[in-house]
Amino acid sequence: MSMKIKPDSVLITITIAAFTLLGSSCSKKETPTTSTPEPATPELEPTPTPTPPPTSKGEMLTIGYSDWPGWVAWEIGIKKGWFAEEGVQAKFEWMDYVASMEAYGAGKLDAVCMTNGDALVTGATAKPSIGIVINDYSNGNDMLVAKPGIESVTALKGKKVALEEGFVPHLLVLKALEVNGLSDGDITIVNTPTDETPQVLKSDEIAAICAWQPSSGMALKQVPGSKPIYTSADIPGLIYDCLFVTEESLNARREDWVKVTKVWYRIVDYMKNEDNTDDVLAILSARVGVTPDEYEPFLDGTHILSLDEALVAWRNAPGLASVYGSSEISDAFNVKFEVYQDAQDYKAYFDRTLTKEVAKAMK
Amino acid sequence: MAAREQESWFAVGRSLSRERSRLLMLGSFVLPLCLWALIAYLPVWDSQIRLTLSSTTESDAFPTVYVPGDHMASDRFAAFQEAVRGDNAQLTPGITPAATRRTNKRILRSLAPIAVTQGWLTADKENDYAALYKLWQTIAEGAESAPISAENQRLIIRNWAALRNVSPHYDSNNFLSDPLAQLIPQGQLEVKRPAFLPAPHEVIMRGWEDFRGESELGELHVWKRYGVSLRTIALGFFFVCIVGVPIALLCGTFAFFSRLIEPFVDFFRYMPAPAFGTLLIALFGIYDAPKVGLVFLGTLPQLILMVANTTRMLDPALLDAAQTLGANRRQLITRVVIPGILPNLYNDLRILLGWAWTWLVIAELLGVKAGLTEIIDTQGRRFHFDHVYPIILLIGLTGFLTDQFLAWFRGVLFPYTEEGASASARGAARVLSKVNPLRLRRTFQPKTLPAST
Repeated sequence: MSMKIKPDSVLITITIAAFTLLGSSCSKKETPTTSTPEPATPELEPTPTPTPPPTSKGEMLTIGYSDWPGWVAWEIGIKKGWFAEEGVQAKFEWMDYVASMEAYGAGKLDAVCMTNGDALVTGATAKPSIGIVINDYSNGNDMLVAKPGIESVTALKGKKVALEEGFVPHLLVLKALEVNGLSDGDITIVNTPTDETPQVLKSDEIAAICAWQPSSGMALKQVPGSKPIYTSADIPGLIYDCLFVTEESLNARREDWVKVTKVWYRIVDYMKNEDNTDDVLAILSARVGVTPDEYEPFLDGTHILSLDEALVAWRNAPGLASVYGSSEISDAFNVKFEVYQDAQDYKAYFDRTLTKEVAKAMK
Repeated sequence: MAAREQESWFAVGRSLSRERSRLLMLGSFVLPLCLWALIAYLPVWDSQIRLTLSSTTESDAFPTVYVPGDHMASDRFAAFQEAVRGDNAQLTPGITPAATRRTNKRILRSLAPIAVTQGWLTADKENDYAALYKLWQTIAEGAESAPISAENQRLIIRNWAALRNVSPHYDSNNFLSDPLAQLIPQGQLEVKRPAFLPAPHEVIMRGWEDFRGESELGELHVWKRYGVSLRTIALGFFFVCIVGVPIALLCGTFAFFSRLIEPFVDFFRYMPAPAFGTLLIALFGIYDAPKVGLVFLGTLPQLILMVANTTRMLDPALLDAAQTLGANRRQLITRVVIPGILPNLYNDLRILLGWAWTWLVIAELLGVKAGLTEIIDTQGRRFHFDHVYPIILLIGLTGFLTDQFLAWFRGVLFPYTEEGASASARGAARVLSKVNPLRLRRTFQPKTLPAST
């Protein structure tokens, strides 16, 4: 039998040649710092390696963070290399807020930056978590922005409001309605990703949007004459912004998380020093892609808690001055408005001992 | 040649001469460009003010910070100026001296953008208060003032007097704690095109800056990201070929596999691949793998159905002849089916590579945003479409040039098919056959099968 022709080997050679060509056009430069060179899984049917708890010693802690000013502040620690200085390997992944919670819910992150209310929502629907750091409370950066001519929340009656349903803007709007004697049936909610609210506010059908900075500021610019009619500054303490960690990771690597907490309070100290403001603004504004001047008011709209203030917020007390009291209120709201069905054990969502440990070490 | 030139441009069923084809290909690009330019430059758009110098105001009518480069309608700009004048009329110190110092520093900086465009200050000195201090002194003493309004010139002189009283040189420990007057916003009249319709020259200029890494894209290096995107496509397409082509060959050759596999694939291809996004993240994490996975998932069903069909189109006479000559099943596949469909398979894969590209932007949004999509997404969100369009054009151009190359390369690989090969491809094929120790090209040529014994 003649063996002159080997079309099958030819086919393979061709395929490989074609891909070498394709591949060679690929840049050989290293991948951006935000992604690990994780080899792509060759088959579609992956041998479903049951994701080992990403907690073994010495491994990177992966933390999802997003464009809320209180969390962008982590960028200072990242840029200055303070995590390495404290001896902890932490990798921060820059993501959209909701995408970061989804990735956390899918078990692909060790920790994620969330508000206390959204931690309850994520816990009730996907994966519970434990808050170990209180970064800040929202003090004006979450805004209900209304079109020109709408001066108050009551004027929204019968109108459409665009916001991301089930998450923090939803909570703020419901609270605004309650404070102004309206109910949730008085407005129509149009479910919109927060980062798309600036475009949406331009549409004729929408009377108002609810978003946080920088999206809320963008909306104010997009629609001249629009103004915030209710903000988190009207109800400080409703929204606490925290770092939430998986239970497994916290149990396995508590020491590392204490170090992360320590870095946070280095960041806070750095930010509170007036001389550093320009440096702080340069780092933070670059992360979200606005100018330092635009970013400066965000610092006031997000009340970063000093260590002493955080210890007060960690007290278990009813009311918005405590992260527990605030979460109790969020939980009741979420159940009432059927964001989820069953009341959450909100106390199980927090562990204040790490902050206290850092406070003890610093004194 | 003379006869050819007289031939009609619209001859039914005839191909055009090479010169005409080239001309029309050029036209197909130039026409949309002209249309774009026409719409963008037509004098139908209103004008607006682009801020060159900005301030902040306490007025409720301006609840957000405007920076140089922002746009405003003319009447709103006038109201903005009036609001700042109103604030200046009753200067109030900040809550603390530190807050007032902070505001004063911002006022110092407010002069920087205009000074940079005038070349009075280098861009890296925008936050250098010593340099800014000197700049204020120079302008207050009347040396340079061209684009600065007379009103602002007076304010600068007034502010400088206050600053100098505290310290003639910048000293961070000895800086004015009494409130300075804000400069009145200045702007330039500009054509007001919709945000999504930047003019061609703006897109070209911005693209040039972005591609050279000289713009405010900051950490978004275009070429690095381009490499990441290319790799996503290449990997996704590579795996889809490795998995899909053998399945498709089986389906096209054996009715058994066709009936077993194709109905489900046909059903599956109507499910939008992005709907599996969360699943892909749960399976593959948040980095590159889910992105490659989506390209794979989006392309696989199309590939199986298309290539299976191509396989079925093989001239049955070839199979009959081979069987008559005694070829067994394995020989039929390896020596008749595969060599027979190779040229058409190559064409299918060319089309499917284009198909794979269409998934790129959706894929790169999964998990941690990556590649060119991050630029498109973040800049589009800020309405910076002059940054977005160069990237979109880059993707389009990449796809187009790849396809043009692959079309030419087809002539090198398969010069014997009906479509034939261009002269350059023939030349390349000849060179290839000489230098190639594997004698790649020859093996593609149809050969008579020796009868099996």
